[in-house]
Amino acid sequence: MADAGRDERAWVRGAQAGSASALEALFRAHWPRAHRAAYLVLHDAAAAEDVAQEGFLAAVRALDRFEPGRPFGPWLHRIVVNRAIDVARARALRREVGAEQALETTAAPEPGASPGPPSESVMLALASLSPDHRAVVVLRYLLDYSPGEIARMLGLPRGTVNSRLRRGLDALQRGVERETDE
Amino acid sequence: MSDLRATLLAVPVPDEAGAEERAWEVVRAAYAEREPAPRRRRLLRPALALAVVAVVAAAALSPPGRAVGGWLRDRVAGEPNAEPALARLPAPRMLLVTSERGAWIVRGDGSKRLLGAYDGASFSPRGLFVVATAGHRLVAVEPNGDPRWSLSRPGRPTDARWSPTPGFRITYREGDTLRVVGGDGNGDHLLARAVAPVAPAWLPRANRTVVAYARADGVVRAVDVESGEELFRTPRTRGVEEILWTPGGRVATLTRKELVVYRRDGRPSGTPTGRLEKGQVLLDAVTVPRDELVYADYDAAAGKTTLVQTDCLDGGACRLIGPRELYTGPGHLRDLALSPDGRWLLAGWPEADQFLFLRLAPPRIRAVDAITREFDPGGTGSAPFPRVAEWCCRPAPAQ
Repeated sequence: MADAGRDERAWVRGAQAGSASALEALFRAHWPRAHRAAYLVLHDAAAAEDVAQEGFLAAVRALDRFEPGRPFGPWLHRIVVNRAIDVARARALRREVGAEQALETTAAPEPGASPGPPSESVMLALASLSPDHRAVVVLRYLLDYSPGEIARMLGLPRGTVNSRLRRGLDALQRGVERETDE
Repeated sequence: MSDLRATLLAVPVPDEAGAEERAWEVVRAAYAEREPAPRRRRLLRPALALAVVAVVAAAALSPPGRAVGGWLRDRVAGEPNAEPALARLPAPRMLLVTSERGAWIVRGDGSKRLLGAYDGASFSPRGLFVVATAGHRLVAVEPNGDPRWSLSRPGRPTDARWSPTPGFRITYREGDTLRVVGGDGNGDHLLARAVAPVAPAWLPRANRTVVAYARADGVVRAVDVESGEELFRTPRTRGVEEILWTPGGRVATLTRKELVVYRRDGRPSGTPTGRLEKGQVLLDAVTVPRDELVYADYDAAAGKTTLVQTDCLDGGACRLIGPRELYTGPGHLRDLALSPDGRWLLAGWPEADQFLFLRLAPPRIRAVDAITREFDPGGTGSAPFPRVAEWCCRPAPAQ
């Protein structure tokens, strides 16, 4: 972990000094989780790619102001997850029927269909939550932030984070149980 | 919970590897184009003291606060005593703003109307219509959002601008071509090929329908769209980002490094900005009454932008009192727009999340806070800062 932190600080310093290879190392280290987090909140691969990419572009723009001693991940994750929430809300407002249908299809499998792998039932359970709830679950259980950190990242009271986590966990538990019953 | 984490990590993300490569190409290109700031000094300069970091002390001091504290340094304190909401404009008429939600009209009383999910927009000369672009469509809408006509194109129209002269025409870019269409949506045709990705600019207050545009080779041409006659062309200039017409009817081009004003025969007459020092970048410029210009000069070393008003259009030869600083603030001041009565200048201030209104004479400052949320109601405030398109509309010329 300490090595990873040292690497990251070196990459940030290198990127600030103009090293594209240092920036690439930083990108390769952080892209998979940032992209996955956006996908789990949005349930739309193209939109997740855009959102994660925006996060890295914001990082490039802010590179000169970034302090190498600070961890890069929380900075990036905050941008990506907040943007994913905004995009999901805007899409709901615009009634993007395609996306809604995609979610409905995922949430309601054909009767008698054989259960998929565990990740599929988790996706189904996540789909039943709002983007705000999904974001909290993703930050807690994929990206490993504490409820206090999540509260600060999303600008929410800690109690709201805890209640969203409870509701998210209940939904995920129901999803997993349904799969076990079948 | 480690099971849940493992399951979330096992969820297949469609085309994961392809997305990573595509994103890396975009990020790499953005990194290659960025202007690195000179290394910062250990001691804060007085100017940097302005860049008050919006850190909640309790959050920053706690262990989790230290973890998430890095991003907080992106925000700066803007103008103190800023108004909490855009409840009115300091000058009458209408403001056109584009945000992630689309194009908005803001009226003098602060009321805002979302015209639709448009990427770009521009007013007609008297503000009776807006021409907007979205995907493959060019659309003329009324200020209440009702569409009047729509033109579908195989490419993606951008940078649509409505001519200020009778006989109204609209120019827009499509890929590397420049096209013209009538104000009623008829008569769409090609005007030029191999144009640069720069918004065309109509000659204001004239009885000829003249537009200036940048070619891909860096030459800026002014042509009469009715006759096709070329009025003049400038020498090649690298990196033209904006074309302006001065109130006196001369063309000016803005690059990141200089603002050049040209004579009516297309020859350069001077650089009002003078020679910028290393690390300084021009962000924007706007023409103001009495044949003057205001430009935004960003100093990367100090991390601040200065708005400068100048009447020295001919390279050091000043008509009256020379350049004077209107305002200096941390971060970037951009998207300059002049009020229709020519008295107020608006600048977008992304890092402070503010709109800054400056009265040119007598000087006065008004600022409005929380602009991102104004144009992203219900959002978390993390949407991109909105862009000011235009402040409509300048008074008709005296005949």
